[in-house]
Order: sequence, then C-alpha cells, then structure tokens
Amino acid sequence: MKKKKMLLSTETMDVNFVRKVEALSGTSVRRCFQCGKCSAGCPMATFMEHPPNRVVRLLQLGQWQRILAGRSIWYCASCETCSTRCPNKVHLASIMDALRKLSWDAEGPSKESYVQLANKLFLQNIRTYGRQYEMRLAAVFNVKSGQFLKDLMLGPKLITKGKLKMFQSKNKNMSDIEKIFSRIEEMRNNGEAL
Amino acid sequence: MRVAPPQLHELKELRNSINSMNSKNSMNPKLTYAYYPGCSLHASAGEYDLSTRELFKALNIGLTEVPDWFCCGATPAHNVDELLSLSLCAKNLELAEKVEGDLAVACAACFSRLKFTQHTLEENDVKRKQVEKAIDAPVSLDGKVKHLLEILAGDLGLERLSAAVNKPLSGLKVACYYGCLLTRPPDVPNLDCVEAPTIMERIMEAAGAETVTWTHRMECCGANFTLSRPGVVIQLTNAILDAAKAAGADCIMVGCPLCHGNLDIRQKEIEGVYNVSYDMPVFYLTQLVGMACGLPPHKLGLDALMVNPMPLLKEKQLL
Repeated sequence: MKKKKMLLSTETMDVNFVRKVEALSGTSVRRCFQCGKCSAGCPMATFMEHPPNRVVRLLQLGQWQRILAGRSIWYCASCETCSTRCPNKVHLASIMDALRKLSWDAEGPSKESYVQLANKLFLQNIRTYGRQYEMRLAAVFNVKSGQFLKDLMLGPKLITKGKLKMFQSKNKNMSDIEKIFSRIEEMRNNGEAL
Repeated sequence: MRVAPPQLHELKELRNSINSMNSKNSMNPKLTYAYYPGCSLHASAGEYDLSTRELFKALNIGLTEVPDWFCCGATPAHNVDELLSLSLCAKNLELAEKVEGDLAVACAACFSRLKFTQHTLEENDVKRKQVEKAIDAPVSLDGKVKHLLEILAGDLGLERLSAAVNKPLSGLKVACYYGCLLTRPPDVPNLDCVEAPTIMERIMEAAGAETVTWTHRMECCGANFTLSRPGVVIQLTNAILDAAKAAGADCIMVGCPLCHGNLDIRQKEIEGVYNVSYDMPVFYLTQLVGMACGLPPHKLGLDALMVNPMPLLKEKQLL
C-alpha cells in the first residue's frame, strides 16, 4: 500500500491535544528547533518509526494521531538522555510520559501491546501486594501474551540462586496503598486531576 | 571581565579541601540512615541487599529499614500515570521520615523516582496539592535521599573509606557502569556530573582497583523491557558487554538491580545469540567495596551471581 501523504490542514491539526500534553508534562513543545540531539543520543531510536525529534515535530503540527497509532512512545526506555541533552530544555522524557498516559486512557489504536501489558501487571502487583512479586509478574505476562516458553530456561536457574521468590506476602499497610489508588481515581472522576 | 577557567591544580586543591572538610565530619557521631531497599533487593537482587547490610556493618554505619515501605512504582508507574508515581513515592518518603537519618537508597530506579518526586513537588504547586490529596497528608520534602554511592564517597568520605580497606583489589580492572538513572535528568539526582560522572571510579580507586576508560558507561541497557521486549535488551546489553571487553575490563560494577539483571542474568543468553564469549562477572558496588574491606564471599552473596566470579578472583588472588 502506498503511504498516505501527510496533509496539513485545520482538520488534521489538533492543538488542544498538544496543550494537554504540555500541561501534563510541564514542558513546551514550541521551544524545539529540531536540532535532533535527542534522536542522536536515543538508544531506542532504531526501534521507533518516529524518532524523538519527529515526535516533537508532529506535536508542533498537531498531528498526534500519527504518534499514538505507532509504537514509538512504547519503545521509549525512559533513560532521560534526550531531556539531558536538549539545548532548549524540552523535557522530552516527560512528553513521552504524557503521551503514554493519554494513549493509555484513551485505549486508542496502538501497535504496541506487550509493554502496555507489562505496565498494567506491574501496577496491579503494587495494588495487590504492595511490593513487586516478580515470579507472578513474569508468569502472568507469559500467559497473557501467549509466550508460554519465554525465559522458561531462566526460571529454574533463578530459583536455585535464590533470585525468585515463590511466595509473596502482602504489606501490612495495604489499605493505605489502596486508598492512594482509589483517591486518584476519585480525583480524576471529579475532574480535579488530569 | 573574562574569568579564566580553573586550572587542574586548582581543581585538585578544591577537591582536597572538600575531602578534608569531609574528614572533619569524622568527629561527628556514628552515621545512621533510614534504608529503602526497594522490591528487587528483596527478590532478584538479594545479594545487593545482603552485601549492603554487611558492608555498612563493617564500616560502622547504622542502617534501619523503613517499616512497611512499598513499591515506588519505578518506570511502569510514571510511564502511564505520573500522579500515581509521585503519590507512591511521596507516601514512601513520609514513611521514611519516621526513621532517624537521611534515606539511603540502593536501587538506581527507586533513587531516581524518589529524587524526581521531591524535585517536582518542590517546583510544582498544582501537582503538590494533588499528591497531598492522594496520600491524605502534607508532603514533607526536608528529608534527604541519598544513593549508596553518595554515602560512601561523600558522607563517609574517600579518606575514611580507604582507611577501612584492608584487602585492596590490586590488579582488578573494573568497568564502572552508571546506566541511566543515577545521574539523569540534570538537576534532579545531583549525584555527580550528568554526562561525565566519576563517583564510581573514585570509590574503586579508594578500594585499590584499576578502572578502565570506556564508551558505554552511560548507555541504556533496556532496563524494564527485560519482561516485555527481551530482544531489545539483548541488543543493547550486548553492546555494553562488548565495549567493556574491548576496553580490557575484567569485570563490570553496577549500582542498579535492573542493569545487573540484564548484564548478569541475560549474559549467557546474549553469548548464545551473538556467538561470542564474554565471561564477564558483574558485581554490585557493595560487593566490590565489601571485598576490599575484607568481608568473606558468603557475606557478599557472591554465589548468587549468574556469571561465576570465582575463577577471576582466584586468578587475581583476591580470595
């Protein structure tokens, strides 16, 4: 299939979304002058269809659907190299966080599901146990992603080295932790937080 | 008026005066810290926890674990929900306030998130109010969060550290690997220079080891993609191991359980994929410093490492 040409018009531009990204990330995409230092230092740029500088450019042009439909944002490792090297102090790692949150909330079209699944299980573990239960994290991930044999050979080795706990006890202050999750949900429902 | 850049000898004098200021602190009573181990240290990085406790005992530094600490949310939380990440960290900081002393953190990811939370809440009143509502308590940002590296090189001081070294790691060539989160982003962790830190090298010199100059000490290992996208991790980590080998290092030193997991646990797999042989032991900083302070292998959890370090240590006569 031939690639669609990118059309710039008021129909394809959505500046409101970009303002939301700027509010969430506390940084302005308008400061970027496309020097490309972020993409030059990005360890994950080779895995992305839109490297970091292009993500910012697309945001400047209000073309956010293109970003969310791809997997670029889910391949960002949050190593913060881009934010460190930006001459205009665009905090690109925070922009990536904001984009992931908006994509996560919208449950919109994204090519990436594994990273999202891993994130979801990680947060569920906190809500259920307080601390990470690595064994459960890996096991549930493999089942839910259908990769039953992934890292299967590693498991027994880790257990003999005492690196994988078979059982995890829950924190004593689980009710406090649950309250943090539920209060944030409540705040969002009331429109007090993005 | 133009100011001349500082000369090398001036910098050395400055460092000496800072060191002597640090050594004056030795008059102070015993150093004590609240301790936030983080989830990994209670599971896949048990040897980091063990060696930290044993090293601090040997150096006569007090360490009290924060009661009921819980997960800081690490990368997955701030990836999709910054408010949740800030709130989880703020609650943990509140728990840590109840224990005497600054907060000692071993894991680079926990360290980064806790520092980032303090930094963000100090600067952003809107987020601060939201977090205070979420944890139903005022946020206190007075407590200091310190990585183990800062405690060893700063609070204890390199002079006192080298005085405690009784089995110097002579002849051991160490590649110090910082990874991402110990120094980045700028202005947040304030551990050392953001692009060219030397804190690990200084500690290793105090322990009597040699350090190598290499290219990949600040490159990302892929971190938590180890669960969701191991292929990515294998590619990035291979480049790091390759660079360490090319620089002539005998071993790698890390201060992060995720870096360790990728470099050590996945090393055999990487060797298989790329058909190479690295055989590169990966130590936690507390294991190497502990060895230099004369602690026996069983107190440092050396047997828990996936790449067996014993042949190397025997060859260098460090056992």
